[in-house]
Amino acid sequence: MTEPVWGPVHRDIVDLLADHPADVPAVVDHLTKLQDLLVRLPPLLDSCPLADFNKLYLTITTTVLDGLYDDRFVDPVFLSRLDVEFAARYFDALRLWTDSSPGTPKAWSCLFERMRGPDARPLPSAAAGVNAHINFDLPFALVTTFDHLESEPVDGSDQHRDYLEINNIFAEKIPGLRRGYLERWQLLIDMLNGEIDDWYQGELVEYTRDVAWRNAQKIWRCRHDPTAHERERSRLDSTAAALGRLLLSPLGAFLQ
Amino acid sequence: MASDVDTAPLVGRADLLKSVRSALLDDVAQGHTAAVFLTGESGVGKTRLLREVGTHLRDAGAVVLTGTCLDIGDASPLHPLLQALRRFDAELSTSHTRTSSAVRALLRMFAEETAGPDGAGALLERVSRGLHLIAEGRPLVLVLDDLQWVDRSTRQLLLYLLAGLGDLQLSVLAAVRAESLQNAHPLRRVLTELRRLRSVRVLDLAPLDRAATEQLAAEVVGRPLTPEAAEQIWQRSGGNPFVIEELARDLRDGRDGLSDTLREIFLARVDALPQPAHAVVHAVAAGVEPVEHWLLARVVGLPETELIEAVRAGVAHRLLVGADDGYRLRHRLVAEVLENELLPAERAALHRRYAEALTSAEAELHQARLAHHWRLAGEPVRALPAAVAAAQEAERLHGYAEAHRHWSAALQLADSPAVGARAVDRADLLGRAAEAAHHCGEHARALTLLEELARAGGMSACALHIRRARYLAAAGRSALAETEYRRALEADDCTPRERATAAAHLAELLLHLGRYADAGRRAREALELAAAVDGSTSEVVLASAALGFSEAYLEDPDAGLAVVRRALDIAERAGRPEDVACAYLHLAELLTGPLNILEEGVVVARRGAERVAELGLGRTYETRLLAIATNGLFRVGQWAEAEKVVAAALRHRPSGADAVELLLARCRLSVGYGDIEAADRDLDAVATVLAGGGARHVIPLLTLRAGLAMWQGRHDLARQAVQRGLTESRSDDVGILAALVWHGLRAEAEAHASRTVAVDETAVRRLRDVAERVARKSEKAARPVRDVVDGFLALCDAEVGRLDGNDPDLWARSVAEWDRRNHPYPAAYSRLRQAEALLARRSRVATAGKLLREAYRTAQGLGAVPLTSEIRTLATRARVSLEEREPARGRDAAAEVAGADELAALTAREREVLAAVAEGLTNREIGQRLFISERTIGVHVSHIFDKLQVRTRVQASAIYLRNRRG
Repeated sequence: MTEPVWGPVHRDIVDLLADHPADVPAVVDHLTKLQDLLVRLPPLLDSCPLADFNKLYLTITTTVLDGLYDDRFVDPVFLSRLDVEFAARYFDALRLWTDSSPGTPKAWSCLFERMRGPDARPLPSAAAGVNAHINFDLPFALVTTFDHLESEPVDGSDQHRDYLEINNIFAEKIPGLRRGYLERWQLLIDMLNGEIDDWYQGELVEYTRDVAWRNAQKIWRCRHDPTAHERERSRLDSTAAALGRLLLSPLGAFLQ
Repeated sequence: MASDVDTAPLVGRADLLKSVRSALLDDVAQGHTAAVFLTGESGVGKTRLLREVGTHLRDAGAVVLTGTCLDIGDASPLHPLLQALRRFDAELSTSHTRTSSAVRALLRMFAEETAGPDGAGALLERVSRGLHLIAEGRPLVLVLDDLQWVDRSTRQLLLYLLAGLGDLQLSVLAAVRAESLQNAHPLRRVLTELRRLRSVRVLDLAPLDRAATEQLAAEVVGRPLTPEAAEQIWQRSGGNPFVIEELARDLRDGRDGLSDTLREIFLARVDALPQPAHAVVHAVAAGVEPVEHWLLARVVGLPETELIEAVRAGVAHRLLVGADDGYRLRHRLVAEVLENELLPAERAALHRRYAEALTSAEAELHQARLAHHWRLAGEPVRALPAAVAAAQEAERLHGYAEAHRHWSAALQLADSPAVGARAVDRADLLGRAAEAAHHCGEHARALTLLEELARAGGMSACALHIRRARYLAAAGRSALAETEYRRALEADDCTPRERATAAAHLAELLLHLGRYADAGRRAREALELAAAVDGSTSEVVLASAALGFSEAYLEDPDAGLAVVRRALDIAERAGRPEDVACAYLHLAELLTGPLNILEEGVVVARRGAERVAELGLGRTYETRLLAIATNGLFRVGQWAEAEKVVAAALRHRPSGADAVELLLARCRLSVGYGDIEAADRDLDAVATVLAGGGARHVIPLLTLRAGLAMWQGRHDLARQAVQRGLTESRSDDVGILAALVWHGLRAEAEAHASRTVAVDETAVRRLRDVAERVARKSEKAARPVRDVVDGFLALCDAEVGRLDGNDPDLWARSVAEWDRRNHPYPAAYSRLRQAEALLARRSRVATAGKLLREAYRTAQGLGAVPLTSEIRTLATRARVSLEEREPARGRDAAAEVAGADELAALTAREREVLAAVAEGLTNREIGQRLFISERTIGVHVSHIFDKLQVRTRVQASAIYLRNRRG
């Protein structure tokens, strides 16, 4: 028999993933437990690339949770649902990876594959996770959330403002970014997107930080059409995967 | 042939089969519901498992209905259920005439359903009644395959039935393709919420492991496999049973090595088909499954014997399956393989033949299929009327999501050049599409369609603004909606009626935005405008309510109350039932809401409920009025009465928000009574309904969950519920938030008091922050809002005090707050805590005793078991006697009166006053009517209470009504 996907912590991770957190405090709890397990994963232990991302994601989600307690958002109902749905997609990807399923999003598997080495530097690793999570997971999480709340992704709405606020949190929490070089984290990712695949036909600069939002609107419009929906999904997956691989390549090291 | 067609044995699923069976049948208590959702990738064996479990359950005596959801986006509402009923009917033998006639009656109900005012809710109720008759007391199991394609109406029906609202013992077994859930599928959220309930299981069907793979392959081949063959099948199939089976079959037939992928297997088989069978397989692929035999015959145009032979060949090559209701492709993979095989012209020709065949004969999903085939045949002119008919058909069954899709298709068809020249009322199509989109919550789409309609002309500017405002308001975009109403009022082509409508709706909108003065102004304007227009009662009612509430918030409650009462009079005189019902609703809400005149409010609500039932609006408005009555009765401490009312309201089997409101009300009673099982059941039912959407009720749900957990000594659960609530509530819902924060602080205080659980200091700090924020916000709020908040904030302060020295004065303040608002339950709780604090300081023991006795009397009167027992525990500990000092004199006196005219003791004047009380008037209003002072009325009322041996206006009214009738 081959070795289990998660090596010595396989059982623990499977047990953890069997639970589906349904609110933001539970998501934070989940990510905390996951972090403890990931840093025990040989051979890279503390420098596991997924742990680099998970740690950053935990910090960000904790900040979101504090923001919810502190009345930072206009529509907490929307934001907490989005946060849970967003995290659920990361946990889903981990579950699929655990089952060695061919359905694991490529956007994620390029990072998961590196858990066994070769080591990548922490910042590009975290960036690859952020890339998969924002450029691939977020649009779908947005659509599911809006659908559930019987609402819609409308520009300039309360939800849109709260959504952008999360971008700010991401920007605040990314450590050591060379700000003179690149204004914002999100901008970096979107610029790279532009080089790989110019999906925005000229709208690129205007909407860079809004890529996931725009994609959500796009998916929203075709959500009743399974074929178009699936096409959109594989398109986003391929784009995010290409970017992820780039971030994890030696080229990605220039970030740090 | 049979040996080749029979599916291979079920391998590696024995445990799963057993656990699904027990979850759906054996473990389900009488009258309860259960559900199992199977998720898994395609080919993993979900359909097979559904069939297997279905057979088991049928053998065990259950009524099993089996339906499949369709992947044509333009299906019709509730299609899987209708299909299941038809299949079931076809399977019934002649000996089951009673069941059969029940099935047919339900199918007839669908055929005769009209889009009435009662809408989708009434349809749900009728469906559950129909299913009840079919079940005849046997357990009912609904098996649904391909749930990822479920229509919205069926989804709502499932949640309704699973919440127990249909009053039906029902189990649901459904299969969902995991691939679909990876997308932004609405079922994702539904399953996340449902999987936490005890009655629901979401099982992920994993591929087979290596050993099971080999076992299955060996069974198919009929002998053990060589190690190389076993390894090859394992590698290629990844444990997917469908693939294993097909690979093993090739291996057995000596085709090993030819086909590397499943796709190639199927391609090879299609190639091997004789020509007529080839045609048949392609025809089925182009049709909407199941394709009926007669339809297939017309489409392929083969003589009967040749057709049957061709079908047999398709089945033998494992590309087709046949059942009583028609033919299907064996797997979706077959469809994918076939898709690239036909030329576009060939495919269009097939669709044309389908459309022609269907034109001459009625069939299931008739119009939707006609539209589908004509469209794909490239005949927009013929597809258009079918799409319109399909949209109307969907609207008839309240399936606005499906109707919207059909209308949109119709619009697209109308735009094609072939149709262009013909007279198509494009504006009419746009208007209907917009309205359907509005009804199914596609707000942005509704607005886009409306813009197009505006460009097309044919609608007055005013009407357009009103409609745009309506859509915007529904989308929650209030500021824009306000502008549109203003523009409507300024439009030159506005009729007086339209102007009144716009002003009334604008007033209502402003009220919801908390701009009371503006709302009042607009409402007055609307009333003036409406006075000049005949038949504008609806506008009068709406504007009066807005005015009434705005006055109540601006501290002139009497004026507001008078306006709303007058609106009720006007509505009664005009006689339109909906207006009367709305007027009652507003009046009851005003009294029990901002005015906090609970007893009158309850009387009005109950009288209104009776009246609207007479008017034939029992299901909708009676239910809502009774919900108001229940909540009012709960607060004034008439729990037994509240219980009766809520039971009566639930007899209408309400759905959606109405149902949630009532279940929460009933749950509140159960938490008060300490009936944990009943409370849990209602909470799960609410969570089930809310899984389909609706965030407004989440916080009350979580607050009750926390309250219940505390009676069970589960501080951890209470904490979790409060935490979730705090992260999901808007800070401007101060009343709801204040109640939640109190529960959170109480959980920490009780953890502290128990000395077994550590206090969560972070939680305490957060809760205090939120409490402060609530206090700050409520300072700016209107008086009635502040009143509600103040009560809870007093409780919060006192609970915080309990964490630190426990100051009895804080509890005394809370007692005063709740007494002032006439809410005995929280007042009794506060008395208990005040007594506790006093006793802890060993000061004023006599006062503590008095407080405990008073709390005890209240708690016992309510039937509040957990509170009573806490009081008893404390009393025992402190050696305080809870016995009453004065003898109860009420009982004898009441017995004397019974039987005789209970009103005999009253004077003529007192009867007059009582009659007015029973109408729900306040003392001041009675005074105005009878020309005596409010204070004198108060004296009369207290005499009446004494003579009738009652304590509340509700009880007095009940006696009055009883005797008046007798």
